[in-house]
Amino acid sequence: MYDLIIRNGRIVDGSGLPAYNADVAVTDGRIARIGRVEGEARRVIDAAGRVVTPGFIDPHTHFDAQLLWDGYAKPALSHGVTTIVPGNCSLSLAPLKAKHRMKLVGMFNQIEEMPYKAFEDGVEWNWETFEEYVARIGKDLAINVAPLVGHSLLRLWVMEEASMQRTATDEEIGAMQDLLRRCLDAGAVGLSTSFVDMDETLQPVPSRYADTRELDALSATLADYGRVLQIVPEFYDPDLTIARIDQLAELSLKHGIPTTFSPLFVNGDNAAGVERVMARVDEQFARGARVWPQVQTRPIDISFSFAVPSLLFIRFPSWYRVMRFGTHDDIVAAFRDPEQRKALVAEAASLSPLWPRLVLRQVGSEANQSLVGKTLAQIAELRQTTPIDAMIDISLEEDLDAHFLAADMGHNDDARVSALLRHPRVHIGASDGGAHILSFSTYGDTGFLFSHFVRDLGAIGLEAAVKKITSDTASIWGIPERGLLQKGYVADIAIFDPETIDRGAEYYVQDVPGDGSRYVRDSIGVDTVIVGGEVAWTAGDGYLPAHRGAILPGATVGASA
Amino acid sequence: MTQGLSTVRRSIFPREGDTWETIAARELTGQDTTAAVGQLQSWNLHVFMRRSPPEGSPRHGNPILPSDVIFLEPPQAS
Repeated sequence: MYDLIIRNGRIVDGSGLPAYNADVAVTDGRIARIGRVEGEARRVIDAAGRVVTPGFIDPHTHFDAQLLWDGYAKPALSHGVTTIVPGNCSLSLAPLKAKHRMKLVGMFNQIEEMPYKAFEDGVEWNWETFEEYVARIGKDLAINVAPLVGHSLLRLWVMEEASMQRTATDEEIGAMQDLLRRCLDAGAVGLSTSFVDMDETLQPVPSRYADTRELDALSATLADYGRVLQIVPEFYDPDLTIARIDQLAELSLKHGIPTTFSPLFVNGDNAAGVERVMARVDEQFARGARVWPQVQTRPIDISFSFAVPSLLFIRFPSWYRVMRFGTHDDIVAAFRDPEQRKALVAEAASLSPLWPRLVLRQVGSEANQSLVGKTLAQIAELRQTTPIDAMIDISLEEDLDAHFLAADMGHNDDARVSALLRHPRVHIGASDGGAHILSFSTYGDTGFLFSHFVRDLGAIGLEAAVKKITSDTASIWGIPERGLLQKGYVADIAIFDPETIDRGAEYYVQDVPGDGSRYVRDSIGVDTVIVGGEVAWTAGDGYLPAHRGAILPGATVGASA
Repeated sequence: MTQGLSTVRRSIFPREGDTWETIAARELTGQDTTAAVGQLQSWNLHVFMRRSPPEGSPRHGNPILPSDVIFLEPPQAS
């Protein structure tokens, strides 16, 4: 008697090899047999007309906080994602001394747009060490978690205030190495650092005060465990990105570790730069280094209301200042004051092509419902005003709860993005899942990969696409026994209809602690998601009681070098 | 240049306590310091345009971070 049999499915096993028809049997959380399966099971799933694949692995997320109140990382799991990597960009939630909690909340708020109130109302701060954090989230996991340790957290723990002022002494570097070892022993998958991020006071985050000695020493510690180094480079500049690729390559070669950087966007205006970046990646791989660029599938869309700060306005100091540091009443007052409004409109005029094509996507009042779905150009014409003034007027009418969409802001050149996604040295990722929750939905990138790039464009084959987000990811990140449908492997499985899989429309939902909201997308065409042999989500029943999520690669008994 | 790698824009990482002046003196030898600093700043707008550390910080007045990439030449012609 098996625990589970998936019958009549088309197996795409994650290796990139051609699909074939077979049944899959699961016992004790592992794949027991693939082929014709006789016998019975406690549960049988008919997958006729569906493909059966390994669960997807999302290597760039910020679910660190959400995992404290949601062990499913909703809605990521419903899209077929069975493993997530939180703790990117130098920020994790541990190790963290109690006195530094609000500092970290400030950084998460500034960098990842996680609301303060979500932390206030959703987080019981009952950990300090990485081991304690992992134990805390590990009690109730439906999804697997491969957590990174944030470099900024290591510095903050060891150097306190000085972590944001200076380089570390040899003793402090040694203490950071010891601390990193404890995190890796507790199950961390690697270390993340950032060369671009700013804290809540708009000063560089602690990791940016590290010199090359420090990163070299921490990489040596990663080497003892064979773990990954993730960085955020200055992705807006090809020369800087290339310099970071060279830096990572030297660390990779010297210490024998895999490294990855994210994000890498391609647009018409930076295509030549991205070509140079990828040429450098190729050269460094040819030398034997491992420097994996991460590329996201979705184009850059930014949604916003004036009720919360938005990344879209970061280039307009007057707007960003009032949105970032002003209260609701300050923003309303600024919009109502003729002089301030005039200055804001003048500043925004530098991006004049953008405003007319913004779309009004959601309002609360009945009076403005007829405008939903229209561009600001259309609304401005109806109201005999300018697009910027229309945006401000509607925001005032809606008490700032009017939502606008800036669609296709970049990374939307299908040919160029396709070429990157197909590239053998590109790692599909960078979803940012769980972050920027008030700017865009970070869920459904895998559905978009299959619907847009596999089905609509034919830019990449189904088997190759599955491999990119399963076994490739598991190999790069050193996640054992996952990413393939293979006898003996852990049964993390996604079942979906290749003809309909997609990401759903983005919508705004109030499901964040502290009465907070976020943009999400539901999955389309995904039937069943299985984690550790247990059905965790189905299209018919939604999220099911499931607790087989694991910390990956998991606790060790010491360095493996 | 490391074997097997094409030539890319030349850069360094700062040393402890580096300023525009110390980098100019060390890396752009034989040039007038003021002119060399001006060149360095123009090649490194990602650092030069950064907000200076606040008053009271030990780094006040020096925008260069220990993790920065500092270019020693202008962008290569494409």
